[in-house]
Amino acid sequence: MDTQFLVSLAFILLTFGLYIGIAIYNQAKATSDFYVAGRGVPPIYNGMAIGADWMSAASFIGMAGTVMVMGYDGLGYIMGWTGGYLLLTFLMAPQLRKYGRYTVPEFIGDRYGSNLARLIAAVATIIISFTYSIGQMSGSGVVIGRLLEVDYRIGTIIGACLIAFYSALGGMKGITWTQVAQYVVLITAYLVPVIFMALQLTNNPLPWVSYGSIIEEMRVLDRELGISEYVVPFTEGTKWQFLALMFTLMAGTAGLPHVIVRFYTVSTMKAARWSGAWALLFIGLLYLSAPAYAAFSRFILMTQVAGSPIDQLPAWTASWVDTGMLQVADTSGDGVLQWQELQIANDIVVMATPEIANLGIFVIGLMAAGAMAAALSTAGGLMIAISASLSHDIYFRSINPNASDKKRLAVGRWSIVLASLAAGVIALNPPGAITQIVAWAFALASGSFFPALLLGVWWKRSNAKGVIAGMLVGLSVTLGYIFAAKYGGFTILGIIDTGAGVFGASAAIIANVVVSLATKPPSQKIQEEVIDLRYPEQMTYRDGEVWLDDGNDVPPSK
Amino acid sequence: MKKIDKKVADSYFKTRTTLIMIYLAIGATVSYGVVLFAEPLSNITFNGIPLHYYMGAQGAVLTFIILLFVNAIVSDRVDKKYGIDEARNESIGSGKTVDH
Repeated sequence: MDTQFLVSLAFILLTFGLYIGIAIYNQAKATSDFYVAGRGVPPIYNGMAIGADWMSAASFIGMAGTVMVMGYDGLGYIMGWTGGYLLLTFLMAPQLRKYGRYTVPEFIGDRYGSNLARLIAAVATIIISFTYSIGQMSGSGVVIGRLLEVDYRIGTIIGACLIAFYSALGGMKGITWTQVAQYVVLITAYLVPVIFMALQLTNNPLPWVSYGSIIEEMRVLDRELGISEYVVPFTEGTKWQFLALMFTLMAGTAGLPHVIVRFYTVSTMKAARWSGAWALLFIGLLYLSAPAYAAFSRFILMTQVAGSPIDQLPAWTASWVDTGMLQVADTSGDGVLQWQELQIANDIVVMATPEIANLGIFVIGLMAAGAMAAALSTAGGLMIAISASLSHDIYFRSINPNASDKKRLAVGRWSIVLASLAAGVIALNPPGAITQIVAWAFALASGSFFPALLLGVWWKRSNAKGVIAGMLVGLSVTLGYIFAAKYGGFTILGIIDTGAGVFGASAAIIANVVVSLATKPPSQKIQEEVIDLRYPEQMTYRDGEVWLDDGNDVPPSK
Repeated sequence: MKKIDKKVADSYFKTRTTLIMIYLAIGATVSYGVVLFAEPLSNITFNGIPLHYYMGAQGAVLTFIILLFVNAIVSDRVDKKYGIDEARNESIGSGKTVDH
């Protein structure tokens, strides 16, 4: 055991102790604590919790690497994943909050007055969240495995057990405060190395301001080497693929059940708007830093690693070559490693950079704890979404409507334990690369929930048959396009599987509108409820009139 | 409870919706608009970075954050103008769940 191992382990144990302590301290006592944290979380903390919930292993470990490898074309991920918060906060979150349900499927079921719609939405929630959580489990497995120097499969099992334990214990209330702590850990871990690198390379501690000079130097280097330039657009795919990917990630963000449910934990529509603003500010700290991270890593690799004699490479290269994520083959046989002979995988850029830039053992230990926080917090939020769908939308609303609070809580807890372990088992042998699985989850969400929620909130004429048709058509088109593009080589305008959400969402909206218009409008009561969502809590719409609750007298009875 | 003029309620909704459409239009311009015109924009440089790259890496994200805060602040003002009392909202909304 070396010092690095002990330091990393100490960081991880310390932060885990913190999370578990918070979960125990905030143990859920009532059902509303378990699902929506008693609905009283202050917006600024809710913003941090949304940030941790949202930023997954893919954001933390993979995004800077994606930008580094893809150059400009990788920025579609940055704009897509942040732009989704505009759609979410402007078009959905406050209205969904006013409707006052526990879960997204419950909103769909009650808004459209249909049990079948609720069940389809519950199944879609489980599919999307489960797919997404497989990526988180294998991400945590890689980090734990590398740290404990055990097989990553053993790491995955340890990660799955930890997630199951604290999600089941605390429910949404525990998770909220755990996620606040996890946000602080993950953002510190991300910013410390990028600030150090900025100091080393540009003598300016603000990477966001100073990396322009590095970009300029790299453009010169790129031209000297005659390789495709870093900042030149659309070298990795067509412009339409860029736009389609951006749309898929935006609409998927606005439709992800585990993120939407975080807006249910505040007390008012106003608090929902502020939560969205704080959330994107906190998320922006990481997303604005990722391109700087990418530029610094690429610059260090180009200037300090490429061009050195192959038998004098720094020590860190050996351990990453062993993992198969880094390839340094001297194909030209001149004994010198050329830039073209260096192949680095997206997913190791962030984890390996502190070693590349020689930042010391404490920074590397901090990075390990931050990566774990990112994977665990997102997996925890996903597990709550799965458990709520199973115990509330399916068990309570459809199977046993007389179940007591205690019974429902028990079903919720057991479904977390079982779902975590099932996802852990699949993560032992994942069906694809982490980023690919995550992109599919977004495409499915943009093809199913985004249209159902958008029309549900903004168009009172949309009805049960419309939403059922919309969700089924949207899911089929999305899945169909993913398979056709990935395995059949079928593409429209060069749009590949990660951009499938464009077709899924359009098809779902068209199906919803056409079927709704061809069938009977929803009941008067439902239409009034939808109009009611236009106004703040204090205003109520009833029978064509609007009432203001000023707290002075009892509401007039009808 | 007191009844309020439907016209007042409608103008509240119209104000909020108009603002949201403006914010979304700005958001779409700095992301989709910039990508559509990426090649001509790359001839302009900002802080050493070609403009299309700068907008993707920082400009769009900063605009999104500003839009969300502007929305939160302006919405509070609109609420106030229409006599909405946030404390009352809170006591109505806090802990409120539709249980079945």
